Parts: sequence; C-alpha cells; structure tokens
Amino acid sequence: MTASGLLEIQDLRVEFAGRRRHDAGVLAADGVSLRIDDAETLGLVGESGSGKSTIGNAVLGLVKPAAGRILFRGQDVTHATTRERRRLGQHIQVVFQDPYSSLNPSRTIGQTLGEQLRLVRGLDRRTTRIHVENVLRQVGMPADTMSRYPAEFSGGQRQRIAIARALVMEPDLVICDEPTSALDLSVQAQILNLLLDLQARLGLGYLFISHDIDVVRHMSHRVAVLLHGRVVEQGPAEGVTRHPDHEYTRTLVAAVPSVDVAAEAPPNGRAPHRNEQGEA
Amino acid sequence: MTAVASQDLAAPSSDEPPGGNSRPAVSRTPTWRRLLRRPLAVISLAYLVLLVLAAVFADVVAPYDPADLDLDHVLSGPSAGHLLGTDPLGRDVLSRLIHGGQVSLVNGGVAALTFVMVGVATGLVAGFFGGWTDRVFTWAVDVVIAIPGLIVLLVVLTVFGGNMTVAMAALGILSAPGFARVVRGVTLGVRQELYISAAKVSGLPTRHILLRHVLPRVTGPILVQASLFFGAALLVDAGLAYLGFGVQPPTPTWGGMIIEAASVISQQPWLLVPPGITLALATLSFALLGDAIRDTSAERTGRQSGNARRRSAARRAELPRPAGAPDPAALLSVRGLTVSLPTSGGTADVVADVDLDVRPGETVGLVGESGCGKSITASALLGLLPAGGEIRTGRVQLGDVDLTTAGKSLLRSVRGSRIALISQEPVASLDPVFTAGQQVDELVRRHHGGSRQAVRARTLELLTSVRLRDPESVARRYPHELSGGMAQRVAIAMALAGEPDLLVADEPTTALDVTVQAEILRLLQSIQAERGMAVLLITHDWGVVAQVCQRAYVMYAGHVVESAPVAAMIDQPLHPYSAGLLASMPGRGRPGHHLASIPGTVPAPADWPAGCHFAPRCALATEDCAAPVPLSEPAPGRLSRCVHHDRLIEGATA
Ligand SMILES: Nc1ncnc2c1ncn2[C@@H]1O[C@H](COP(=O)(O)OP(=O)(O)OP(=O)(O)O)[C@@H](O)[C@H]1O
Ligand code: SF4
Ligand SMILES: [Mg+2]
Repeated sequence: MTASGLLEIQDLRVEFAGRRRHDAGVLAADGVSLRIDDAETLGLVGESGSGKSTIGNAVLGLVKPAAGRILFRGQDVTHATTRERRRLGQHIQVVFQDPYSSLNPSRTIGQTLGEQLRLVRGLDRRTTRIHVENVLRQVGMPADTMSRYPAEFSGGQRQRIAIARALVMEPDLVICDEPTSALDLSVQAQILNLLLDLQARLGLGYLFISHDIDVVRHMSHRVAVLLHGRVVEQGPAEGVTRHPDHEYTRTLVAAVPSVDVAAEAPPNGRAPHRNEQGEA
Repeated sequence: MTAVASQDLAAPSSDEPPGGNSRPAVSRTPTWRRLLRRPLAVISLAYLVLLVLAAVFADVVAPYDPADLDLDHVLSGPSAGHLLGTDPLGRDVLSRLIHGGQVSLVNGGVAALTFVMVGVATGLVAGFFGGWTDRVFTWAVDVVIAIPGLIVLLVVLTVFGGNMTVAMAALGILSAPGFARVVRGVTLGVRQELYISAAKVSGLPTRHILLRHVLPRVTGPILVQASLFFGAALLVDAGLAYLGFGVQPPTPTWGGMIIEAASVISQQPWLLVPPGITLALATLSFALLGDAIRDTSAERTGRQSGNARRRSAARRAELPRPAGAPDPAALLSVRGLTVSLPTSGGTADVVADVDLDVRPGETVGLVGESGCGKSITASALLGLLPAGGEIRTGRVQLGDVDLTTAGKSLLRSVRGSRIALISQEPVASLDPVFTAGQQVDELVRRHHGGSRQAVRARTLELLTSVRLRDPESVARRYPHELSGGMAQRVAIAMALAGEPDLLVADEPTTALDVTVQAEILRLLQSIQAERGMAVLLITHDWGVVAQVCQRAYVMYAGHVVESAPVAAMIDQPLHPYSAGLLASMPGRGRPGHHLASIPGTVPAPADWPAGCHFAPRCALATEDCAAPVPLSEPAPGRLSRCVHHDRLIEGATA
C-alpha cells in the first residue's frame, strides 16, 4: 500500500449556483475526505440529493471543485487539464446508472469500445479489435456484440457493455454510480457478481455509489454515509451498516424494510470471491 | 380519482413496456438502405439523380446546342424533331432544359450547402459549449430572423452586380437560423447523455466527440432540412430570374425559360409546361425525399421495431379455458384475465389467464420484475388500458359489478368511489396548474358535493388524515412546490376522498427515499386499519411486501406463477422464479460473495414459450415443462404454476 493509496479526496467542496439569480447556491459536497486503496471498494450511501454523484463526478473531472484536493496515486489531479485527463482516462473509468443513455445509440458497440483505444492509445485496427473482443468476453458478452447497436440489447446487457467500456482502458479505479439501480432484482444480482469477479481478477478499486444500503453492504469493504454533502460516518461496511454510530445512519438503516426473519446462510452460496485482504 | 388515475395508467408505465427487457429486434440495416425500400423515396431520388446527370453530361445528352436557332420551326409543339418543341427563336426546348439545369442546380446547391454549413456549425457549437457562445448565438439568430430576407437579397444582387452565387449563399445564410435552432436543440439534448460524459472521462478530444457522437444524432434533421431547402432555393432562383437577375439570355436557365414562355403564352401555352413541370417535380422530389429520410431515421432510433411479434397469436391456443367462478367472499375477484396490447407487429397477450382475489380489508402484494405485466393488470382492473389495449377474456368482479362488461358511466362512478389508484410518480400524477387543495376539493365535490366551505373543510380533514403537518399551507401549494413524500400524501388524500373499498397502489414508494418510503408505508397501514380498506400493492421490493402485505401474488411473463401468505412464501417459495428472486436479494447474500442469480432476462411477450414461461431460465426445467403448466395447489392456501414445486422443498431440506 502506497502512502496515499489509490485515490484520496481531501476536504472536497463543490458548490452549484442557484438556478435563478436570487436562489441560494447548493453546497453539494462540503469538507468530504475519502480514501480508496487498490482492490478496495468504498461504498457511498445516502439519500437523493445528498451529493453522492457529485463526489464521483468531481473525481472524473465532470464538475469543478470549489476547494479541496483529489489525489490519484499521490498526484494532484483536482484541476487536471484536458491533456492530463486523457492520460487519467486510462486509470479512472466510470459506469453510470442509466443503461439507456450511457451508450451512443447511433454507434456500434465495437466503435464505442474501440474509439478510446484508437484515439487515446493510438492502437491500430487489428489490435483494437482483439482488445475489445477480449474485454467483451470478460463481461460475458458474445463476440458478435461488436457489430451491433445498443438498441439491440436489454438493460442488463447494456450495463455489461458499459462495464466493458470502462475496462477497455485497463483502469485501476472505477466509479460505479448506481450501476444497478435501473435494473431488476435478478439482473442486478448478475451485474453485482460480475463486478465482484472483475475486482478479484483485476484488482480494481471501486467507488461504489448507491442509495441501497443492502447493495452497498454487499459490495463494499468500507462505507461512507452522506447527508447534505457531508460525510456523517465512515468505516468498515458491516460495522457501519449493521451497528451504526451516527443517529442519521441509524434512521437510514432502520427505514429499510427487511424480509429477513432468519436467513443467515447464503442461499445457494457459491465459491467465495473476495480476496481476504480487504476484510481483515 | 380521474386526476390521478388518468395520467398514470393511460399509458403503460415505463417500467413495463410490452417489449420488456429482452432485445427488441431493431433492424441493423443502414438508414440509406431502408430509404431505398420506400417507392416514393426511390422515385424522387431517381428523378433528382436524372436531373443532375443530364445537367452534368448536357453536351452529350442534349440533342441540339441550346443556342442553335431553327427559324423554320418557331414555337412548334412537341414533334419527332423536337421532343419538347421549340421556343420563339426555334431553339430546342429539351436541350435548353437540360443545359438550364446546370445553372439552376448549381445555384440551389450553393444555397443548400451554405444553409447546412452555417446552420450545423453554429447550432452545434452553441448547443455543445453553451455559456457565452450560446448567448451570442441566440442574439445573432434573433437579429437575422428580424432581417427582411428579400430586400437583403436584392441589395446583395445589386452590390455584386447580379452575381447569383453570392446571392444564393446569402439566401443560405439568411435561412439558416431556424435550422441552427433545431441543431442546437438536438445538441443540447445529446450533451446531457451519459455517453458524452463517458467519452469526456476517457479523454477523447472535443473535436472527436462533436463529430462522432453529436453530429450523427443531427444528421437526420440535417438531411431533411437540406432537402426541403434545396427545393425552396430552386424556386427562389427561378423567382429572381423572373425579376431579371442572374444569368442573362441566351444562356438557358429554368427561371429564364419560364419568363420566355410567359411572354408568348397567348401564342404557345405549351412552352410553359416543360420548365414548369421540371421545376415543380424537382421541388416535390426534394420534399418527398426529406419526408422519407425523416421517417426512416425515426425508425432507426426507435427502441422497438417490429418483426415477428405476430407469432404470439399462434400461441394463444393454450389460453382459452373457461374462467373459474369468482370467489364470493372476495371484494375483488379476477378470473382468467387475458389482456392484449398492440405491438409494432400486431398484438400480443401481455397478461394471460390471471386469477386474483382481494378480500375486504386485506393487503395483497403483486410482485415481479418489469415487463411481467403488473401495471397492465392494474390498469385492466381500473378500466384504464392504454389505447389499443383489450381485455380478451376473463372477469373482473368488484362486489356485485363485473368491470369487464360495465358501461363507461358505471366504470367512472366505480373508479374513485369504490376503487382508487395511487401511482409511482407522485409529483407527476398531480396537475401542475392547480394547487394541491384545489385538486382534493374537486374530488370531494364530485363525491359528496356541498358548499365551498364544507368542501374545503373536508379537504383539510383529508390532508390531516394523511399526516401532513401543515395541511393549510400544503393546500395552497402547487405540485412542483411539494417534495415527493408530500406529493404522495396528497395523492393518497385524493384517493381517500371517495372512501374507496379498494386502493390499488402501483409502486407507490419506488421513487422515494427509504426514510420517506417508511413513513408512507406506515401511513398506508394505519389508514387501512382505521377504514378497513383493502389494498392491492404492486411492487418489485420484497421488503415492502414483507412489511405490509398479508398475501402475495408473484407474476412472471404475464402469468401468476405463485400465490401464498407472505410469511410462508418468503420462508419456502414454491416456484423457482419466486425462489430465485428471493435468493438474489443483496441483503440475503454473504457480503463480497456471489449472489444467487437467475440467468437471462424476462423475454418479450412475443418470445414467451408455449409451455412454462419461466422454462428458458429455470434450473429445474425438464421436458414436462414444455406443455402449458396450470396452477396447482401444493398446500392449502398456496398456488404454484410449476410441475416440480416439490423439488424446491427437497432442495431446501437437503
Ligand atoms: N449540475 C448541477 N447544477 C446545479 N445543481 C446540481 C447539479 N448537480 C447536482 N446538483 C445539486 O447538488 C446536490 C447533490 O446532488 P447529487 O446529484 O450529487 O446527489 P446524489 O446523492 O447523487 O442524489 P441521487 O441519489 O438523487 O442521485 C443536489 O442538491 C443537486 O440538486
Ligand atoms: S414448470 Fe418447469 S420450467 Fe416452469 S418453473 Fe417449474 S420446473 Fe421450472
Ligand atoms: Mg446520483
């Protein structure tokens, strides 16, 4: 583990101007400090408008922080230029919530996945093709996916493709912003399993954003709870989500309707996938 | 109830498109190939290509030199020597027409090209970059639109000594603003798309994002507008020639030929026909071509496109079986309900043979994934199927009324007073132009009548009963001034106005935060306890079912596959689909380990198998599952549509 880890966010502050002149601005992130190590998942949970996406977008360079620092492998990337972004794109990638708007409907999957390799990495057509096929296989999509358009795929399949797009660049860190919130229960399970497999295989770090505490607990090593742009509590996933310290987290956890009665053992559990380092 | 109901179930809610989750078959043929399948487009295109080719190869194609005089045959009609006749100087009309196309088409082309370049460049930049570029753009568009176009054209022509190329370019620029606005609008939309964000994250150059991601989305409008404008420019070109501008005689132009024909119209009216028809057909062809492009590009972006949806008709054979008798003890008793909806290739049954009972005061859950027919079932109960939707068979008995045969007015009086609806999008379900109070007032008045004060008093009582803290202030607010939770409370108050016996709640808390969801669920439970109202709760969330429902029905691909008391079902599901759903809940898995998951997705109605609909995804499927599977009663009070339900029990105890 390096001194500053994979990603470190220090005292991040993001403001949005009010829509009209007299509206007060919104403080979407306020003094947020977070840290993610290699192969680690940090879960970010909170209610709508609490600033979860804003933090992810700041890391991705899609919103400009008003104050604070974002360090990637110890290097300050808070105000990265377009050129530096291009280099960062090979290390930090994203999977968004909406499987319908996250792929360009007028381009084939092959074009969407290949363009970054060709333009940013400067690979030739053949190498690009091999790369893309390889990644599609990793996310469980057939090879003929490349020549098809997004409209031909279901929500779950599109989300696999969106994950493939993130993986093409062989990143170290993936921002997952509600990657399964638009999916049905059975498909959500497929995608969560895929993300766990990829982390185990590739050692990815995840910033896993979700409003669903059960999903966040299932996916994360550590969890941070957001309220009005502030982190009110952060720590190991089990601790924070089962025995919260903060009043707000307690309310949040208590509000989740539970089916469970007694099911402790994983029904139909399969081979464990998490590498032990995170849980220790 | 209409205020709530009509808006929400009028169309199938977005979570249940008939095409559902599976791959809609979108044609992969490029737009231009599909264009060629339209006869009108082909004819138009062929005609325009013919004009262009003729103009390009005029020297070869034209039978005479356009300037050749034949003073022996002046103003002759069509003849073997001169197919389209001759003009006052005996020149061959066909040859002049062919040569005239050179000038006219080039002029039209110059105008269209300028039009497209100016429109696309400014619209794209303004829409994509926003900020000050956009403000300058808006200002410039307003200015240009305010300029009187014809006068500018005349000034330009005078200043540039009648140079038509410059004039046509000016025409392009003057006409571009409206088009630029269209491009800007589309670009603004595309800019919000997440794939643009993803491209930025990958560090793709802005130029590339604009050209490869944004531009293709506007090619449809570009081609349409350019085509229409080309036709219009040809007319302007002719009109200017009529005013004496442009290329001077003896060089032929279409406009010039029309003028010449007009001057001898009393001697030889035929002369007007060839240039007039050529020009009219060219304009018409451009318009038809534009329309065809618009239609084909709309087909392409549509998520659904039809093929093979008709196949489901063949499978209907499995359905008709005599509907069972309604349960006399039930408030709502549904038997053999089959609903069909229009799809792009015909109609498909999206709900098949559903039996369902709700007893007075009972809370019943209807659970399943999107595309399984939950919302359509609810809209069928309320008589609010989307246009083209039809109850093909079955009975819906509410007390002593059969809703499937009830007339419109009876249905209307039943809705709201005996059965009411609340929906998933609380804010959207309210009418934005009336205050919350006014909307509740209207329903109170409809159901009870009374003076203005009495109505308002009852409204405030209702708002208080849904635990709104400050009912008076809420009553004064407009829907957009309410939070999601407050809006859902108002919607519940409206549903209660008619004191219904049954409340249908379609995903009432799905759009809300968990803490708000918990409050709304508590509210529903307490209202129900106070009033003895029955609730049919549609949801995909097992936690919600467990918390508030006594019994539940699980739907899969249009069928009810299991029904049971909730605790028993969660403890021991008797259908592989319910078992799979329950096992795939992240809250029940071991953190960091694989969740049990059901492979695949819910197929579209056209792709439902003839036998058990779940068979393609089922781990227990055998040949026995290829024939239609009826509901059976494996245990008292429990129903399962599975031939191997006993294996689930063995599996659990082994
Ligand atoms: N582009 C923007 N312009 C103005 N305000 C914004 C913008 N993006 C976000 N906000 C505001 O910032 C705050 C935090 O928003 P954010 O999207 O980060 O929340 P979130 O936790 O991701 O919510 P959700 O669960 O609904 O996705 C909200 O008040 C939101 O309205
Ligand atoms: S009937 Fe067969 S395919 Fe259908 S759920 Fe039962 S075991 Fe599976
Ligand atoms: Mg968000």
